[in-house]
Amino acid sequence: MAHATSQGPQLLHGFKRLTRFDKGLGAQLPEAYKKFWREWKLTTPAAVHYVPKTEPFEHDEVTGEVRPVQNVPLPLIDTPESHEGIWGGEAVIKGFQKRHPQKRRVPHFWVPTLRRSVVHSQVLNAYISMVVTDRTIDQIHDCHGFDHYLLKNLACDLRSALALKLKRKILMELKDGCPNLSDNPSERARVLKEFKCYLDSYTPEEIEWYGHTYEEAIRKLQAQIRAENPIVPHKVEFRMKLIEQLRNAGISEASGSHINEKSAKGNDDADIERITKLEAPSSPTSNWLSKINPFGKKQET
Amino acid sequence: MLKTWCSSSINLLKSAATVQQQVRTTFVLKRKYDPLLHKTNAKPRKLRAKHFIYELVEDTNVKRRPNLEVVLKTYVEGVGDKGDVVSVRPNFAYNKLLLPGLAVYKTDENVALYTKTEDEKKTVRHSSAFAQRTINIIERFSLAVVMNKDQPWVVEPWHIKASLRKAGIHCPEECITMPEERIEGPDMNKEAKEFYCTITINNLEKARLRCRIHHWSTDPSERLPYVPEFWKIPSEPLFGSENSKELTEKVEEK
Repeated sequence: MAHATSQGPQLLHGFKRLTRFDKGLGAQLPEAYKKFWREWKLTTPAAVHYVPKTEPFEHDEVTGEVRPVQNVPLPLIDTPESHEGIWGGEAVIKGFQKRHPQKRRVPHFWVPTLRRSVVHSQVLNAYISMVVTDRTIDQIHDCHGFDHYLLKNLACDLRSALALKLKRKILMELKDGCPNLSDNPSERARVLKEFKCYLDSYTPEEIEWYGHTYEEAIRKLQAQIRAENPIVPHKVEFRMKLIEQLRNAGISEASGSHINEKSAKGNDDADIERITKLEAPSSPTSNWLSKINPFGKKQET
Repeated sequence: MLKTWCSSSINLLKSAATVQQQVRTTFVLKRKYDPLLHKTNAKPRKLRAKHFIYELVEDTNVKRRPNLEVVLKTYVEGVGDKGDVVSVRPNFAYNKLLLPGLAVYKTDENVALYTKTEDEKKTVRHSSAFAQRTINIIERFSLAVVMNKDQPWVVEPWHIKASLRKAGIHCPEECITMPEERIEGPDMNKEAKEFYCTITINNLEKARLRCRIHHWSTDPSERLPYVPEFWKIPSEPLFGSENSKELTEKVEEK
């Protein structure tokens, strides 16, 4: 059966479902974006909403039986709003509360406390108002600044499209040598020196593809492909072909320069004049008739 | 988490006097029932409904956050001088010092960068971080200098000192500089008129104190009628020169 599938003999190791990077435009996405994707989606984020157990084994509280420890993270919900602010790794938790041992469990949503605050980016030289949590501000303090917070943390820990976008902007800015700070050279030198270490882990292509969502990456790829092979109308293409053929046939008008063309035009005009002059005496009405351009603008009567 | 605020006035007839409002915080949770063990290096088992029953372990928002250490870039009133490493509340540090660019986080580089140089140490501009606060308090003040209505007197620094003490400010006599002209009394033309004296704080900062003369008699029948909230009533300067007028205007603007 193996021969009948696209996966061929690989099927022997189990059926492999096609991922978004195996089909369609996704297959053409560069390795730089896939690296970011692995960092964003396939890495386990740091524990925010639970305390992970560190020991490999533990005793059962009642029986004293030894059993291995397996930390299964709590499923978190990233709301659309979480991508418009920076929640510092927090998310909404959907679950139940057991409020009374003899009563039915009660559904509950644990939602982080949000507030609007301002963050300051040294690299972008900008103050940005955004929705944050206390944890975000704490982490900014721990990392000694907003830029450090974004650059030090992985995409999976930032957990926000806005944060990733800002991180890409900051990385691009550092790569270009901070054009925003060009009016203050000493500050610029200081910032470049302070943040230079973060550039080592990225190549320019990786910076370019960093922080895009899948849809954005696909759109970016499409734009690239379109820019590389622009659509030329057939009209232009066929005209070029025809001219080429005429040139090959040795026709002078096709290969001639502009002056030749002009003189040819002049000859045509002279011919037309001659014809009109010949026609003029035959009928007086044809004089005004000849002035009418049948392909011109429609005259209103 | 439910917080309850009771209305301060006691009304027994009111049935629901409390306002219940949900306070949302950062949560650290724990599963009530652990999921079954799965094979190593395999996907975890499918979670069942009972694995979604959580218990609250900790509320990080309720916890008191430790102070934050910052290095001041300039002199900040009420906080410290340039290069000082101060430990302040994190919200104050972020909103009032770090975001306006008055301070930076405490790192070795920043401490070295912003320490005062020898020249800056020599030119002292501020005796203390809190001197400006004292100046603000003194300049906002309208001090009543209560003098005798029957016996002759000349206003001296110790009068100002006593009046300040009555108003709750303890000030040594050496710090008080009186105006050049002598102020003698009792003189009812000088009643409720203002003059300025200068108070030197920490031998460095100068503050101008607005004083208003008031006559007082030990005999109750001789006393002047009581003026409620006299400091709100505008008054004339004692020395009618233009200079003092300008000064009063300045003070009023403040």
